[in-house]
Parts: sequence; structure tokens; C-alpha cells
Amino acid sequence: MSELKPRKDLLDIEGLELPEIEHVLSNAVPFKQLFQRSVKKVPALRGKTVLNLFYEPSTRTSSSFEVAANRLSADVTNFTVSSSSVVKGESLLDTIETLQAMRSDYIVIRHQAAGVPDIVAKHTGASVVNAGDGYHAHPTQALLDAMTFREVHPDYEGRKVVIVGDILHSRVARSTSTLFNKLGIEVAVLGPGTLVPGGRHDFMKRLRSWDEVFDWKPDAVYLLRVQLERQEGQFFPGIAEYHKMYGVNTQRLARMRQLGAYLMHPGPVNRGVEITDEAMRYERSLINTQVENGIAVRMAVLHWLQPETDTN
Amino acid sequence: MPSAKPRLFQNGRIASTASPELRAADVLVDGNGVIVAIGEGLSAPEDAELIDCSGCVLVPGMFDLHVHAREPGQEHKETLATCAAAALRGGVTGVVLMPDAAPPIDSGPLVKSAMDLVSELSPIPMHQSGCLTKGREGKEMAAFSGMASRGVPLLTDADRPVPCPDLMRRCMEYARDFDLLVASHTDTPALSKAGAVNEGNVSYRFGLPGIPAISQEIAIDRDIRVAQHTGARLHLQQISTARGLKSVQIAKEAGTLVTCEVSPHHLVLTEQDLRDYNTHFKFNPPLRPAADVEALVAGFIDGSIDVLASDHAPHTEFEKSSDFGSAPFGAAGLETAVPVIHDRFIRAGVFGWDLLIERYSAAPRRLAGFAPVAIAEGEKAEFFVFDPESETPVTRETMKTKSPVTPFLGKTLAGRVCGTALGGEWYGQG
Repeated sequence: MSELKPRKDLLDIEGLELPEIEHVLSNAVPFKQLFQRSVKKVPALRGKTVLNLFYEPSTRTSSSFEVAANRLSADVTNFTVSSSSVVKGESLLDTIETLQAMRSDYIVIRHQAAGVPDIVAKHTGASVVNAGDGYHAHPTQALLDAMTFREVHPDYEGRKVVIVGDILHSRVARSTSTLFNKLGIEVAVLGPGTLVPGGRHDFMKRLRSWDEVFDWKPDAVYLLRVQLERQEGQFFPGIAEYHKMYGVNTQRLARMRQLGAYLMHPGPVNRGVEITDEAMRYERSLINTQVENGIAVRMAVLHWLQPETDTN
Repeated sequence: MPSAKPRLFQNGRIASTASPELRAADVLVDGNGVIVAIGEGLSAPEDAELIDCSGCVLVPGMFDLHVHAREPGQEHKETLATCAAAALRGGVTGVVLMPDAAPPIDSGPLVKSAMDLVSELSPIPMHQSGCLTKGREGKEMAAFSGMASRGVPLLTDADRPVPCPDLMRRCMEYARDFDLLVASHTDTPALSKAGAVNEGNVSYRFGLPGIPAISQEIAIDRDIRVAQHTGARLHLQQISTARGLKSVQIAKEAGTLVTCEVSPHHLVLTEQDLRDYNTHFKFNPPLRPAADVEALVAGFIDGSIDVLASDHAPHTEFEKSSDFGSAPFGAAGLETAVPVIHDRFIRAGVFGWDLLIERYSAAPRRLAGFAPVAIAEGEKAEFFVFDPESETPVTRETMKTKSPVTPFLGKTLAGRVCGTALGGEWYGQG
């Protein structure tokens, strides 16, 4: 393994270098093998503390980080802040000072506002892991997606993934597409014009219909969760129309099966919206693998990052 | 009033709107603050203070049409005194105050009390503008006649558009009766919503809600049409896109009574300059792509943009320390405007002092109803001494504003305002 520059925080995918990505993804493999054993724990972070700071409810990601930290033998504190108590005017810097006083070595943070993990990272010696900030980034999701895709396609370079749904409001789409692009995986997007922003990266080719998708022959179809309620306006006429235009139904599933395309989804799934019940039982669905790999990747990330708290 | 000492400004070069060429001459200001002689090798009266201006340019005092001094009501951000100090450090000798004080300046008595504060606290002329609508709420017309009789230079809802086109129409029709200039913050709130940066690849990359260019462009088009319909004088604040500027150019060609302004940050920064969620780069209208900036610079040079205005909008570092989406729009601009323009354009030979004086001194004074100032015999002294070989460090320590929040923080700009002469006063800048 070549020498990597020590990295304190994982804030987004754009800032990562390829050797760092390879380091995390390859380290996640032995961590995952650990899950087959009766004792799933290693002492790597014994004596270290991980603070799970969630400003947005997320049972899945929060639990995944908690399990990952536990399996590394770290002490975990879960700190969920109901969004109603974080009103405008409350100072982020004051919160950071409070966190500093807790002397955590790792802070896993999810926040509804883009950029908050960056601010926290600047003001603390703890390693900050972005567990999702606004529409901006969700780097551990991207890493687990890459791990999952590479497991089924070890010859991943030049393969194709189409991301379907709300690109505009999706940190998953941003991070996963960026990571896939860095790994040489082609990315296309399918979704209504209202949710496929013009400012997206050039490498995100837009496909106009499922027919175009199948002509493009994707190796995986990555469905995004449809947010049913949006404060800032209407983006499509309704759920039924969305499902008709962009959902995976029986016919589309049959075409996917023909192509041998895998199905991915960051969860939680809206059954009957982006996907039908039947498609959930698709033999090439990677959704549960994604969850499992999430723990392994998060272990690898916590193990990789180097807090600057030791010298305090 | 006690007379000051006469001052002789020696060996400087005088800038004016007349020509990009500078005229080498000494300038003698008498004890009453009047320029009494201009010429080479002037001899100093016995008691005169000598100010060595070797290598420096003497520039007529700038006039900023768009300033938020935050007093009364938000003195934690800025006060009239700190605002004036910032202006003087930037070579600005007159400003128009936006009416978004607390409470908003929307009546004659409030204009009077604001002007009373100015005469008590500010060493430089500050002219209080008034609101278009009561409380800046965009619902009812404010009391124009009282404000007009107190001499407001313009009416504006400052950082807020008048959302209802019917109300904007009535405001313009009514303002016309008083020959009042209507200054419009051009935005369509239904389009800009909670946007924080220009909508495009930067908003995508940062995952921030975008402000689409059309939210300003549609508002510009609307207000131009209302101005054409009503015959009112319209001034468009903070133009930021090429397409918006094009609308202004077309309207001007059609003879519409419309003027517009641009801020220094929209002339020298692009959306790509935003890094690391630095909220000092959060403006409304937002920083735009390079193609827009190029068009604005061209418009600034060819005159389709009439005025440079800083949109000096101080917020405390604490207020700006929140996440990008929640942080307030705006930054301090008074003391960096001239050095920024010098650093980027004048020094590089893109244009001369004559153009900057026209856009930032003469034109805004005319728009606000005042005579332009010049460095000429018989005129009141109102100029600053600028050393193009020196530097302006932009740091918390050197800034005079109460809220040293600016996208240029940490930069060193080429050229420095050494001091500003205003009547019998000389405000040397260390």
C-alpha cells in the first residue's frame, strides 16, 4: 500500500484522490468478512469516542454508523437534534464549542443545510464524517455504492449506471455519480426536466425515457427515493404520473432482467412509487447488499481518518 | 466655524472626467476648505500644512448610491460613524443611505430623524432615501410627499422588490408627481425563493438552492415596462447578468428614463470564486458566471451601466458564520470599492480614472440630484489622494467598518487611499 497523506475529515467525494478511494474500498473487504464470524468486533478504535450527531432523522444511516463504530470497539454517543429546536439564529459555532468540550475523536454529522460538516470540520480537531448535508454530499453512501457495484462487476471500468429520479435534491446522486465517474464508470440520469438540473456535471448524460435507458444498456439501474413533499414548489404532477413515467414496473423489470442489469437504491424505498412490490423481489436487487456494505465501508472510513485530537 | 489650516497638496497628478490623462499640479486649499489655486510649483502660505503627493493621483470624492449604514436599529453591524470612517478610507465623500433601518424609513418624520442622526454623527454627507412601500412590506404605498419635502434622493424598498406589479405601477405613477427617482431591487421572489447562489453548476456542486438568472431578468423587464408605461424615472440596482443588461440597453435605445448600477464584486468576482462555503461570497443578486461578468465590464465601459455602487451591507462575522444557506446576503464594500477597481482595471490599463470618476462620483451625484464635484479652483475641496504604488491590505485590523466581512478579506489590493480632503478637513489614512 502506497503512503497516503493523513486525512482528518471525509466531507465529500470531490476532494478525494483515487488512492484514498482504493484504500477505503479495499479495507472495507476484510471488515465485511468479519461479519461472517461469530465475533464481529475488532479492537481498532478501542478507547476512541464517536459522536453521532444527527440534525435530520435517519434511523438507517445513524444505525449503520453506530454498528460500524461498535464493531471497531469505539464508544458511541448518539445525539439526535430534532430539527425544530435548531431554529435560525442558533449559532452553529456555539454548538461546535459544546462538541469540542465533549472531546470526541470522531463526529459523524448529518444536517439539513449544505456545508455544515465543512464548518464543523474547520473548528474541531475531531475527524468529521459527513453523513449527509442538504443536497450537497453523502460520501459514505457513494463509497458503499461503489463497493457494492464492484462486487458484482469486478471489471467495473467502462460499465454503465443510470441514476433515476430526483437529481436536483439528491446528495446521493451528487456523491455517487462523482465517485462512479472517478472510477471510470459511466453515469447517465433519467428523470423529469424539473429534477435534472442543467448545472449538473457534464459527465451525467441525460436519457429521456426508459426506452433510451434500455438502448444505452446499463449494468445497473440506481433508483433514488422520491421526496413526496417539497417546500419549494411542485416538480411533477403527482405520484401516479411519476410512477408511470419513471417507476420500475413489471415491464421495465423484464427489460432489466433481459439486460442482466442490477438494481440499486439508497433506501428507504417508496413501494409503488419509484418501484413496485414485485421489483423489490428482483433477484438482481443489491439493496440489502448496499446496507451490509454500508457498515463495512463506514468501518473502513473511521479506521482510515486521523483525528487531530490526540495531541490535545 | 473656525477656519482650518490651509493645505498644499504637492506634486500630485489630478484626475478628472475630462480625460484619462492626469494633470501634474499642486493644489492649494485655504482655511475655508476651498481650492484656491491649482498649478505647478505653487508656493505654500506660511502656515500651510504640506502634503506630499509625489507619485499619487488626486481624485474627486466618490459618491456611493447604495449604502446600508445599519443605524438606526442595527448598530451591532455598523454605525453612521464606522460607516463614514469606511467611506473615507475608500475615498468616498458622500453616500445615499438605504431605508432598511429599524424601523424602515418610510415617512417624512423618519427621514428627518435619520438626517438629524447623520448631522450629529457623520463627518461626511449622507443622504437618507425613503421606502417605496410602508415598512418595506410591499403592500401599501409609503408617504411620498413628506419624504420628498425632506429631500430624499430616491425611493427604494432596498433589497426587496415590490412584488405586486400593480403596486409598482402606482408607486411609479405617484413618484412621478414628485419627480422622485425610483430605485428597484430587481428580483422575482417566486423564482429566487430560498436560493443562496447562482443557479447553475456551482449551486449543483455545493448542493445549495439556486437563484436563477431569470429571477432578476424578469424583474428588470417588468420594471422597465412599468417605467415606460408610467414615464417615471427608474434606477435598477445591482445588475448582475448579461441578459439583464441587454434589457437596459434596449430600453435606453428606446429613450426610456432608466439607469442602472453594478457593484464592484459583480465586476471582479464570478460564481467560481466561491470556495469552501465561504459566506463572505454570498450576495443578492449572487455572483454570476464569467460570461456575465465580462458583459458587465463591457457595459461599465460603454456606459450602458451608469453607476458603480458598493451595496455596502455589513453583517457581523458571527452572523456570517452560520451555514451558507442561512447566512445573510451582503458584505462591506465602501472601503474596498476604489482599490478593487484600481487593482483589477485601472492598473491593468483596461480603463482610466476618468471612467471611474464618471461612474462612481459624477453620475451617481447627478442621479441623486447633486452637482458633480471636481478638483478646480473655486470649488470646495472634496477629493482623495491615491497612491497607485502602495497597497491596501484588507484585514480585520485595517478595516474601518464595524463588520470586516468582505470577499476580499486577506487580500492585498494594489493602490491605497492615503487620505481624503473634505472641505477644511483632511482625513489621513495612516
